[in-house]
Amino acid sequence: MKVLAMVLAGGRGERLYPLTRDRAKPAVAFGGIYRIIDFSLSNCINSDIRRIYVITQYKSISLHRHIQFGWNILSAPLGEFIEIIPAQQRIDEHWYQGTADAIFQNIYTLQQERPDLVLILSGDHIYKMDYQKMIAFHLEKGADLTVAAIRMGREQSREFGVIEVDRDWRISGFEEKPEEPKTIPGDPERILASMGVYVFNMELLVKRLIEDTRSDSTHDFGRDIIPLMIEKDQVFAFDFRQGDRGGVGYWRDVGTIDAYFEVNMDLVSVTPQLNLYDSQWPILTYQFAYPPAKTVWAEDARMGTALNSIISNGCIISGGSVKRSILSPRVMIHSYAEIEDSILLEGVDVGRYAKIRRSIIDKEVQIPQGMEIGFNLDEDAKRFTVTGSGIVVVPKGIRL
Amino acid sequence: MKKKILVVEDEEGLRLLYEEELKAEGYEVITARNGREAIQQLEVEKPDLIILDIVMPVMDGMEALGRILGKERKIPIILNTSYSGYQQEFMSWAADAYLTKSIDLSELKNKVRELLEKR
Repeated sequence: MKVLAMVLAGGRGERLYPLTRDRAKPAVAFGGIYRIIDFSLSNCINSDIRRIYVITQYKSISLHRHIQFGWNILSAPLGEFIEIIPAQQRIDEHWYQGTADAIFQNIYTLQQERPDLVLILSGDHIYKMDYQKMIAFHLEKGADLTVAAIRMGREQSREFGVIEVDRDWRISGFEEKPEEPKTIPGDPERILASMGVYVFNMELLVKRLIEDTRSDSTHDFGRDIIPLMIEKDQVFAFDFRQGDRGGVGYWRDVGTIDAYFEVNMDLVSVTPQLNLYDSQWPILTYQFAYPPAKTVWAEDARMGTALNSIISNGCIISGGSVKRSILSPRVMIHSYAEIEDSILLEGVDVGRYAKIRRSIIDKEVQIPQGMEIGFNLDEDAKRFTVTGSGIVVVPKGIRL
Repeated sequence: MKKKILVVEDEEGLRLLYEEELKAEGYEVITARNGREAIQQLEVEKPDLIILDIVMPVMDGMEALGRILGKERKIPIILNTSYSGYQQEFMSWAADAYLTKSIDLSELKNKVRELLEKR
């Protein structure tokens, strides 16, 4: 069975602004050393899917470099690849109009590969999933399309595509972000949400994409293709529980700054929901060869400490204190500085006596000596982004 | 009002033949000698249907089909070719009909009528 994965990595991630000011959402840093897209790609490799196209469009340089440097791991002579496809504009001269359009516009590429099955993924989600389990289910059911589904509380229906199934897990209805969702049979408080993970029989995918492209449509898998196929084809839902490598139903669409903050902060808890230590399911990323993290100074008032935190390689905590925080590589914390409940991305430098709490500091920002961020949100809002729940985001490139 | 048909065909004799025969059927006919000319025509003309040859110089019909769909997603398109092998190409599935060229134009005329009525 020849399987080709196509990872949609062109999302603007506007609600993650300013983290997405200079990069596409899949390239946003996560958990110290990762980028969001590392999870989908690692799932592919761990599921032994080794023919992967990553479909990008705008602000893709950061993503390209990450994949070029970190994911150059497959063997082209064996027919394996992770290849980035920027928008070709071979058919339409505009940006992709929707997720389905992004695949249709790459129909020539799909034709070159001629796989039996196409696994369509989003590069925006954090989860650990064995796609082979889903493919086995797809084949066993004789499905034309299988959609991965996760159980959620019904109150979350307005954020997701909600799937209605019969007892056999055949999909009988699909609604995008409904107010009044159809709940799971026998469980009126819970819904099945689409995870944006699809297995298609290739020929039918092409036919339905063409049908869709020639009709009035938003050219989106959730809004257009799935409803069209429910009418005509064999469409099944795959229960994420059957393929969940973490075993705790962990799947996150890091859609907003607040969600991004929470999902990161989960990692510094004693037992995170997302287990990054499973040696049978490693999450691969790109890391420059920095030296190990280091703490220095151990005097009463000048003590370099990190508690309940993730400290990446290349960091030096030199006489400052870090609590419940995530430091990406090469972060420098100078003496008497205090960092709490914060995410500091690569190359951030925090000057002496500076104090930072509940903040996200983007790459390479230099925090001057004595500056306070996250203590007076009215002041912070004058120059930074402050979210509804009071998280301050200091953008890349700012000079303080 | 007369329906307008764009005939894209590189061979002059055939192009004239299609033009005459379709005019005789009561259609207005405009022509292009290759895919690029067809796309240029679409900048100024709004045909009701396109008859598209595949093997042509400058830009072939398969490439042109994709580009046409990028601009005019709903216009009916007949691929009209001497070769059946292009049906293997996914993009050919986006055409409304795939006809093999024949001296007898009745199949082509029937298909044109059918697609225009459906519209």
